[in-house]
Amino acid sequence: MNTGILKAEGVCKSYGKKEVLHNLDLEIQPGKIYGLIGRNGAGKTTLLGILTAQNTMNSGAVTYNGQPVWENQEALSHICFSRELKPTLFSGQNNLKVKHYLKTAAIYYPGWDQEYAQRLIDEFKLEPKKKICQLSKGQMSMVTILIALASRAPITILDEPAAGLDVVMRERFYQLLLEDFAQTGRTFIVSTHIIEEAASVFEQVIIIDEGRIMENAPTDELVDQFRYVSGREDVVDQVCAGLQVLSAHQMGRHKTVAVRGGGVKLAAALDADVDVSPMSLQNVFVALCGHGDAQ
Amino acid sequence: MHGTLSDQSLIYLQISRMLEDDILRGVYREEEQVPSTNELARGYSINPATAAKGINLLVSEGILYKKRGIGMFVAPGAEEAVKQKRKAAFYDGFVKPLVKEGASLSLSGEELLDMVNRAIEEGASQ
Repeated sequence: MNTGILKAEGVCKSYGKKEVLHNLDLEIQPGKIYGLIGRNGAGKTTLLGILTAQNTMNSGAVTYNGQPVWENQEALSHICFSRELKPTLFSGQNNLKVKHYLKTAAIYYPGWDQEYAQRLIDEFKLEPKKKICQLSKGQMSMVTILIALASRAPITILDEPAAGLDVVMRERFYQLLLEDFAQTGRTFIVSTHIIEEAASVFEQVIIIDEGRIMENAPTDELVDQFRYVSGREDVVDQVCAGLQVLSAHQMGRHKTVAVRGGGVKLAAALDADVDVSPMSLQNVFVALCGHGDAQ
Repeated sequence: MHGTLSDQSLIYLQISRMLEDDILRGVYREEEQVPSTNELARGYSINPATAAKGINLLVSEGILYKKRGIGMFVAPGAEEAVKQKRKAAFYDGFVKPLVKEGASLSLSGEELLDMVNRAIEEGASQ
């Protein structure tokens, strides 16, 4: 599929006096599924809005294939940002019937696949004549997912698609995403708070924290940099000297730390009397972005 | 295919290990085709790139090979190669920790060997 690079350079964004994105750079390569994770208020939705020219920025540039995206219909027709529908709003798109909302999307996205859309409407058991604001939270998520998938846009962005879905539907969603990806190889950016079950779907993970990109790396390479080391306090301290310790937890003389460091250094730990265990993406995320809150 | 992706190690390593297990169990025999990247991705709900990484690891070790335009196949001698690889991993993953645990319990080398021999006898008499 003909996909380009979506690039943000030096993006700054303030709401009033509060700067929420600080001089942020990001490059989205074609043909990958990206996971965007960050805590509440980290700037995820703001960033996604700016990447798709649905939100303004104070300074910086966003380009697709080298062309600015702002008011660039050609570029924007390649990028689908299926926004989360807010159940509390009773204006704007929420007053539309589902079928009209979908019709708008069909007009907007040149690659819209009506047959696929219809199949998903049937599978999700959505009633086209209902108004958006009459849908449950889960059904709203299904509408945003449906638009994202059926848009067949080379770059497709989903903001919290899993929110409100039950666990069966969440699994089904990731299946649909992977099936579509296997067929089309288009680029997906998926933001989520439910990290663990999505970790295996993301080839690349972007961690955003307090308006800055903290990590943008292949998921397995990132996760493999981290380990839990636990044992007697002094031995643990000795093993972890020179490594980046992200969090520490102590019970009496027993200490568990989350460390980041080369595999070579950790190999040394295997000979010491400590337990070394791998971390999951969720553990890594908490260690990086927890700022001590979770302890 | 069997099992689930549950433990904490990297997913592509889990994929390659499951394929190895299946080769050892005779699920996939030599010169037989193994699931494709997309089949694995669908079966375990993982990214196809991750599945490909797991397969490519086995290709680089000569356990699988690619037939252009058809798919991935179990290489001749793959079962033996997996066994050799597992034996090396067995030493690092089981024997070394066993000795380490023995040392932390102040067991002498002789006592440890006695225990191992006893376990072998009990295993044989079952």
